[in-house]
Amino acid sequence: MAPPLLSVEGLQVQFHTRDGIVRAVDGVDYSVGRGETLGIVGESGSGKTVSSLALLRLVPPPARIAAGRVMFEGEDLLAKPERELGAIRGRRIAMVFQNPATSLNPIYSIGSQLGEILRWHEKLDRAAAEARILSLLDLVGITDPATRLRQYPHELSGGMKQRIGIARALLCNPALLLADEPTTALDVTIQAQILDLLADLRQRLGMAMVLVTHDMGVVARMADRITVMYAGRVCETASAATLFSAPRHPYTRALLESMPRIDHRYTGPRQLLPTIAGRPPGLLNPPAGCRFAARCPEAMAECRTTLPVETVVAPGHSVSCIRHGSQGIAA
Amino acid sequence: MSAALLEVENLSKHYPVLRRGILLQRQTAAIRAVDDVSFRLQAGETLGLVGESGCGKTTTARAILNLVTPSSGAVRFEGRDILPVFRKGERSEVLGIRRGLQYVFQDPYLSLNPRWTIGETLREPLRIHWPEREAEWPTRIDALLRMVGLEPQHAWRYPHEFSGGQRQRVGIARALAVEPRLLILDEPVSSLDISVRAQILNLLAELQDGLGLAYLYISHDLSSVRFISTHVAVMYLGKLVEMAPVDALFAAAGHHYTRALLSAIPVPDPGAAQSRIHLQGEVPSALRRPTGCPFHPRCAAALPVCRSEEPALIDIGPGHRLACHNPA
Amino acid sequence: MEGSIALAAPPRPPGIWRQGWFRFRRNRGGMLGLVLVGLVVLVALTCFLVAPYDPNDQSAMLRGASRQGPSWAHLLGTDRNGYDVLSRVLYGAPTALAVGLGAMLIASILGTIIGGIAGYVGGMVDEVLMRCAEFFLVIPVFIVILAVVRLFGIMVVGTALERVPHLNLMTIIALLGLFGWPPIARMARAEFLRLKQADFVEAAICIGATRRDILLRHILPNALPSLIVLVALGIGGAILAETMVSFLGFGDPKAVSWGQLLYFNYESLKVAPWGSVAPGVAIFVTVLGFNLLADGLTDAFNPRLRQ
Repeated sequence: MAPPLLSVEGLQVQFHTRDGIVRAVDGVDYSVGRGETLGIVGESGSGKTVSSLALLRLVPPPARIAAGRVMFEGEDLLAKPERELGAIRGRRIAMVFQNPATSLNPIYSIGSQLGEILRWHEKLDRAAAEARILSLLDLVGITDPATRLRQYPHELSGGMKQRIGIARALLCNPALLLADEPTTALDVTIQAQILDLLADLRQRLGMAMVLVTHDMGVVARMADRITVMYAGRVCETASAATLFSAPRHPYTRALLESMPRIDHRYTGPRQLLPTIAGRPPGLLNPPAGCRFAARCPEAMAECRTTLPVETVVAPGHSVSCIRHGSQGIAA
Repeated sequence: MSAALLEVENLSKHYPVLRRGILLQRQTAAIRAVDDVSFRLQAGETLGLVGESGCGKTTTARAILNLVTPSSGAVRFEGRDILPVFRKGERSEVLGIRRGLQYVFQDPYLSLNPRWTIGETLREPLRIHWPEREAEWPTRIDALLRMVGLEPQHAWRYPHEFSGGQRQRVGIARALAVEPRLLILDEPVSSLDISVRAQILNLLAELQDGLGLAYLYISHDLSSVRFISTHVAVMYLGKLVEMAPVDALFAAAGHHYTRALLSAIPVPDPGAAQSRIHLQGEVPSALRRPTGCPFHPRCAAALPVCRSEEPALIDIGPGHRLACHNPA
Repeated sequence: MEGSIALAAPPRPPGIWRQGWFRFRRNRGGMLGLVLVGLVVLVALTCFLVAPYDPNDQSAMLRGASRQGPSWAHLLGTDRNGYDVLSRVLYGAPTALAVGLGAMLIASILGTIIGGIAGYVGGMVDEVLMRCAEFFLVIPVFIVILAVVRLFGIMVVGTALERVPHLNLMTIIALLGLFGWPPIARMARAEFLRLKQADFVEAAICIGATRRDILLRHILPNALPSLIVLVALGIGGAILAETMVSFLGFGDPKAVSWGQLLYFNYESLKVAPWGSVAPGVAIFVTVLGFNLLADGLTDAFNPRLRQ
């Protein structure tokens, strides 16, 4: 089997604060194959965004990457000197951000901020850069791209800005696209348009994608495989079909059940949503053992003392839960 | 039909677009944020008001509560025309209305005074409405906190010590303090995490059953609307385009915009064969509102008449009203 | 029942002021500012006890001992008028504080009321009040003070006002306050404008709170931290302004002021530098103290600004 395009091993990101070390990401592993889309889902504080920023060593201080390897096209990105990493950022691995309004520089026209990237990374001249930008704007579904080039971000709608953000990410033909909540700030009909666009681009360009989101619906529509994170650790990784039809980890199951469904009748006698009691643990002094144990309906005494290790339970399906076949390390 | 708890009739809120002159401003146009909206809500029911950002759903709610002054129209609460009461400003009458309908805000981080403890926040409505019953306040505050799933000792804490979900519970408790019959819930769960969302939705459902409350539930999240609502109204560019009992709307939406909205929701099920309706373009700015049906530029089923004539909201079934020349 | 609840209550957790204090304590500059300001206040309160000479004691001159360098009798020497420099500098502290606090008290009351009304009412009222604030901003305060102090000094001669102690100083304080309000009004306006649209204020309206409740219980307390920062900064500015007025010889001849000390002694800077350096250092320490304090308060109350 060919090695995956990207593999993250034992990634740890810590925030050194006055009160102690916050373990925002505490031993995360996942991999993305060529052309594959991996969805990373989790609630706020699960470490999903920090772990994806850490791939490119973009974690803001006081965060620090404490351990781990990020193998991309045969090289460890975490061991690379900053200058070489700069050539990978935006070029081989590109990012699409959550807030299209702030990810574009308001004082430059669309054409000049996109052109700068091409001149910097690809050393293209002005004419060649413009031709490439026009073809990309066309590709991301922007009508009348020649006019848009001369416009400024504030003249564009949110959906349009996100299309520009995607075009910017595609400028250098990246092998991997990191999209962090790319549609959260958008309205549903615009979200549908952007998701369609991303799905279409992935197919046409054969690009791999890491899609970070809190929205189960979005990953169901987009992802080939899904990784569920909770309190800085991976709970479960499976193909999209398996994760939704046969989730193993109690957190995944509870999360899926707790969402109201648009295709379910709630009229008649009152039905309540199954909920997860309690709150995620603080990551300053995370509990020993499984992070979910305190809220888990199936937790055993062992779960509170033993840290589960991600274990393959079926082909392509791995779970970190002692109850469901994982090995554990006594804390 | 029994008298409705809340009756909104031809409610409009227009904002003048002003151009600044040398000394005075002159009006050059008007943004019709809410345009001729009418609906009724019975006691104990929930009307889900849905639409995308800028469709006027929040302005509608704020106009009902007189947080913005409506340009025209009437709001009747328990059969009483309430806008003239706000205009007159007779304090005891205004308080009487404020006791009937309350508002829960979207952002639990902004809706609590950061300098007040939770107890102080909950004491405020009691101080305003029942100043003579001061002795009962502490027990009432305890009861309110318990009612929303918090502990009495939380009364001594400040908002910043709470999570978003807990703050939203406080916001709900504050609204319940005056014993209202109607709660206007403005996106109460959209800023919360999935697992917390379910907790708050359940809380709202239980409170409704226990206290016989009616809700006006404003949201862009159709799955939570489906869960909590008995009826749904869809807004587009300040207009009500469709209104129906919840199951009827989700099963047989008549308006092409409603259908597009429903199909745009990503369903958490990769196998779901969703027939997707691809809406072209974006919601036009309220300044450049299309003539005729406001939705016609994005509508696949638009007829020539849609361009020139605005469709009226008419009954097409039991409780189902629709504004479309060429229904699906 | 109620009693038992009160007993079971946990200790009250920190409110916004306590939290601000926790953050402030970590700020080295701010703490230094607080220490310097505290020192000045201490001196101002105790100068009557610790000063070795009466501030108006010119006996050294009669002994021919003016412009003498530091000695055991005069720790900071004597100036060209025969004053003991140390005593004069110590007695300058209450004057400086009176100017700073007095001027900013006037300015902050005016500024908060005017800016608060402008921000809360809005519309034409806002327009008129803010144009008014701009008008006050563009007037050269200094020239006005110099002119008014001189004219006033002439006008009161022969009237009952002549006997009011420190009349000149009070005029300066009043003028500094009268012209110092626009920056505070601008901040107050911005804060009131922001807070009147805050969700928790709208929630209070829904509950049925009166306008008085909203202004005094919701908006004003939340606007105070930003205003206090400006006031702390303004105190330093006012002290400096009074120093400059006194240095030009327009100060209150009967009040002991650092600026006046400089005015008396700058000509003998070469012969008796201690006469000028000591008040200079005092001014520097005081103004620096208030500025550092303001900086620390900014960090403590608006922590997001610095991230």
